[in-house]
Amino acid sequence: MILGLICLLFTLAVYWVCKKVYKSKPRVYFSPLLVTPIILVVCLLLAKVSYTSYSQGGKLLSDFLQPATIAFAVPLYKYFNVLKKYMVEIVVSVLSGSVAAMISSAFLAKWMHLDASLINSLVPRSVTTPIAMNVSQVIGGIPSITAIFVIITGILGTMIGPVILKLFRIENEIARGVLLGTSAHGTGTSKAFELSSLTGTISSISMILAGLITLGIAPLFISLMLH
Amino acid sequence: MSKLKALFIGILQVVVLFLISMAMNKLTELLHLKIPGSILGIVLVFILLKTKVIKLEWIERGANWLLAELLLFFIPSAVGVMQYIPMLENEGLQILVVVILSTVIVMLCSGIVASRITKRKEKKSA
Repeated sequence: MILGLICLLFTLAVYWVCKKVYKSKPRVYFSPLLVTPIILVVCLLLAKVSYTSYSQGGKLLSDFLQPATIAFAVPLYKYFNVLKKYMVEIVVSVLSGSVAAMISSAFLAKWMHLDASLINSLVPRSVTTPIAMNVSQVIGGIPSITAIFVIITGILGTMIGPVILKLFRIENEIARGVLLGTSAHGTGTSKAFELSSLTGTISSISMILAGLITLGIAPLFISLMLH
Repeated sequence: MSKLKALFIGILQVVVLFLISMAMNKLTELLHLKIPGSILGIVLVFILLKTKVIKLEWIERGANWLLAELLLFFIPSAVGVMQYIPMLENEGLQILVVVILSTVIVMLCSGIVASRITKRKEKKSA
């Protein structure tokens, strides 16, 4: 338990420093979500601390994810009029993004010769963890491995997202929010809030919508595409 | 409002959000719903705000705190990747290729569709 507590405090300290560095040098490769876990994993491996002992403390932080998800209700409420106004474009583009996520994940994974359980675990990787794990279980993936793919997607998404926005000159706040929330769930949404609170709100609704769409059509999709 | 009082209220609001999430988890469990409790929680809090059963000020500060530090709460799961180092040594590169390419495809699909529709709408209204 004491070890867990030390791990928790250490996580907070490393995160705090990483966030400071990122604030003064906002480059993608300095993203706290990338740098903090790398530093922590290296330290844990060097100190020969297992993930099980680490997560006794780390779990306390993960526990905040659920109330934090519910907190999205606040920006949703504040921007409800804007959301209503753009409902059609949000729904249509999130739907196409979510279908693209499942199809491209499955086909690319097949093309890379990954085995069936890994393919199925990759299919729901772009949506928020609890939904992704649920979908993974239903379609024959391994939920805990899906959780890893979700977080990898989140980290890479926050790095790739800004590059795509720049490269393809996507400047519209609605499009930016939809892009980040559909492709990289909660972490994309947190990036979107860095851009503007409207972008963040569009991103949170896109994240929720993408989750529900995936929950609804992934089982159908898997039975159509892969069998 | 003094700083200490503001801090206390913020903490209290976070606790309230915690309690809601626990209650929603219990509810999904009892009703065998497939939707995660936190998604149900968003819907519930949104409806409560919209019907003015609760006031925005009752949860706003705590909610903003949680959203501001959202990335921190993902860190332990990201550290969890260390449990899968052998798998990643074998198939990490292929997995990385899948995730990167697919993420780019998703971004282009959703982003370009969204900007096309908004542009068309703007033209119509102009």
